[in-house]
Amino acid sequence: MTTVVSFIKQPLVIALLLIVALLALGESLSPGFASADQILRLLIVASLLGIVAAGQNVVILGGREGIDLSVGGVVSLSAIIAGNVMNGADGGILPAILACLAAGAFFGLLNGLGVTLLRIPPLVMTLGMLGVLQGLLVVIRNGIPSGRAAPGLSAFVTQPLALGIPGIIWLWIAIGLFMAFMLNRTVFGHRIYAIGSNEHAAYMAGVPVRRMRIGPFMISGMFAAIAGLCLLGYSGSSFANVGEQYMLSSIIAVVFGGTSLAGGKGGYTGTMAGALLLVILQGILTTVNIDESGRQMVFGATLLLLMLFYGRGRAMRA
Amino acid sequence: MSKLKLNGVSKAYGATLALRRGDLEIAAGEVHVLMGSNGSGKSTLCKIIAGSVRPDRGEILIDGHPVTISGPQSAREQGIGIFYQELSLAANRSVEENICLAMLPTKAGIFVDRAALKARAARYIALFSGVSGDGFAATTLVGNLRADQRQLVEIMKALASEAPILIFDEPTSALDRAQVDRFFDILRGLKRDGRGIIFISHRMDEITAIGDRVTIIRDGETIQTLNLSETDPAAVIRLMVGGAGDMPASQSSAPAAARFSAGAAMTVDGLSGAGFRNVSFEVAKGEILGLGGLHGQGQSALLRAIFGAGSITSGEIRIGGDRFDAKSPRDAIRRGCAYVSGDRGRDGVIAGRPIIENVTPIHYLRDRLMVARPSSLKAKAMPALEAMHTKFASLMYPINSLSGGNQQKVIIARWLIDRPDVLLLDDPTKGIDLSAKADLFALIRQLAGEGLGILLYSSEDAELLGNANRILVFNGGSVTRELTGEDRTRYNLYQAAYEAA
Repeated sequence: MTTVVSFIKQPLVIALLLIVALLALGESLSPGFASADQILRLLIVASLLGIVAAGQNVVILGGREGIDLSVGGVVSLSAIIAGNVMNGADGGILPAILACLAAGAFFGLLNGLGVTLLRIPPLVMTLGMLGVLQGLLVVIRNGIPSGRAAPGLSAFVTQPLALGIPGIIWLWIAIGLFMAFMLNRTVFGHRIYAIGSNEHAAYMAGVPVRRMRIGPFMISGMFAAIAGLCLLGYSGSSFANVGEQYMLSSIIAVVFGGTSLAGGKGGYTGTMAGALLLVILQGILTTVNIDESGRQMVFGATLLLLMLFYGRGRAMRA
Repeated sequence: MSKLKLNGVSKAYGATLALRRGDLEIAAGEVHVLMGSNGSGKSTLCKIIAGSVRPDRGEILIDGHPVTISGPQSAREQGIGIFYQELSLAANRSVEENICLAMLPTKAGIFVDRAALKARAARYIALFSGVSGDGFAATTLVGNLRADQRQLVEIMKALASEAPILIFDEPTSALDRAQVDRFFDILRGLKRDGRGIIFISHRMDEITAIGDRVTIIRDGETIQTLNLSETDPAAVIRLMVGGAGDMPASQSSAPAAARFSAGAAMTVDGLSGAGFRNVSFEVAKGEILGLGGLHGQGQSALLRAIFGAGSITSGEIRIGGDRFDAKSPRDAIRRGCAYVSGDRGRDGVIAGRPIIENVTPIHYLRDRLMVARPSSLKAKAMPALEAMHTKFASLMYPINSLSGGNQQKVIIARWLIDRPDVLLLDDPTKGIDLSAKADLFALIRQLAGEGLGILLYSSEDAELLGNANRILVFNGGSVTRELTGEDRTRYNLYQAAYEAA
């Protein structure tokens, strides 16, 4: 009996149970909500969020109040860069990918340097970076047209690629495997957990702490860039602050999945479930005609509730 | 009549009896010295008087009336003033504000009365006029003061409490001669006022200069109270040591210097840094060199600095003939240096992670690994853990599931996969059980037998006497004495530790 209880109490299991419950709720509110087509659409949207949350997850695992509030800005910037570079032509996809990854890595590097060299708290550093990115977006859009997605990219995101499943979902699965490997089977991953759990002990055991702080921010920037690229493929053209919503929702997905905001505890599998859960919740809110501001309120409240629920006594204890 | 009297006070932390029986009587107008070695129960006794620890048993009387001291605030109200060894000053406040911090004078009970505050602080600042040094003024921020000046502010703060009973826990550690002399003049004045003063110091010359009586604590018990005028330092140390203190240390391995013909594992020449100065020694391959002395005399600071986790201002370290100046622990590890701290919660344990990940970090670095393959890591980790007789159910269980002793074994095991040349042990047995200690020292001797050079600092003198081939006694940041062979007795260790620095 106790094993059943402790099994159910695992965050991942809770999240999966909630997914089923929310799908059932959605179906009862609006028949067809849980149809195969709809679920596939939800999965596509969840993939976009899940990719952003992958980077967020690594930053948060690294501890010392690690958090990346600039992901939304990088998503928007990446969507604009990609739109302009490919401008509707398939030949531009590869250059666009490279340009986006470079931009994501660059802004991640700036975040990492600010946090390590200038000792700015991640919350402040990445919030400042978000401001810079939003300003940059205004400047760019005033000069150049925003550009369009290449047909190949749109097809990758929205059309079935194999087994009737769109490419982006395959990409998300691949990222899930990559994250599991990186976190569990590489020295880098073990060091992320080590500094997230006890930075001083990690330092005394020869972990290059500074490098290990910068790395996650670069990873986060690159994942956000990939998500921005895919988001362009999903919506066809980029528009102002297209990635804005990802700041809050990526953090919620990570916390939903059982990763402690204090660092050193958690993993990506839970985050994937968290992303899916959040997207289903969003779908239900849309179905019952709650507008964007209402959804944001629900999301914010969800995060606070999660902190209360999982985190009592341990989540923020640094 | 006695100002303060403790009758049969005791305190246990879990199964550990920190204070078995404390009897103490402080008379009006005396400076009463407390003496005891590391872990004798001296600081627990002080904490009980200061109200930060509640005794399990026994009674406390002030002016003959039984009292209950329920906390630091209550101690203050009952007329007990304390100088804290760990300075308790607010760095961003001025000298005068710090002096009056405990009882800010107010107008109408709300606003701070600046004029009254200045006047009151000025009285205590004036006591040290002429010796407080450059840049010391009532309005200076405490954060901008030197260490000795901050200690003066702490003394002024204790004096400003105007408490009938005053406790000074190592008040002179940072002060220069003139400042100490002035402080002692002030203490003599307080004696004439009929105050009762408890004084803790590790400098025998100061104790004889200012003390009237001394109470000796050993193994959690107050052994005896003596008039300092009727005794001599040797007798006091003999009491602290207890019986059999003159016996040479028992040790299975012969401490003959000739055994270490293989050469030096590490040479340290004139090393100075934060907390230690001008330290020179050589540790041979296969030798266990003990660092002794009272707690916090520079032993830990030295070990951390060698390991690249502290500051070195001058001097030279060589390992195997090559200059060794590690800029970080990472650097030190790569070059064959290992460090085990007794504060495993802070320095060692990666909490919440599996045992295996707590064993492998050094191996990752030494072997420049990128991918962590569980099967090959397990093959490396198991022998290391078995060498330490570590008890665990599975390598994948979190390290927190183990007892303290087993956690420390895991931390030590991480250094055994790729053998270092020099092992630095910084009070490695703190808070672990006896059988784990025995396992640990068996391993340390075995490692020495394999040719490692080992530096061992321990706060337990028995561990040094029982394991070290030589002991360097630290006092005030430098080595004041070296004990070899037959000289390695508890008596000599204490005497060197308590000598004037």
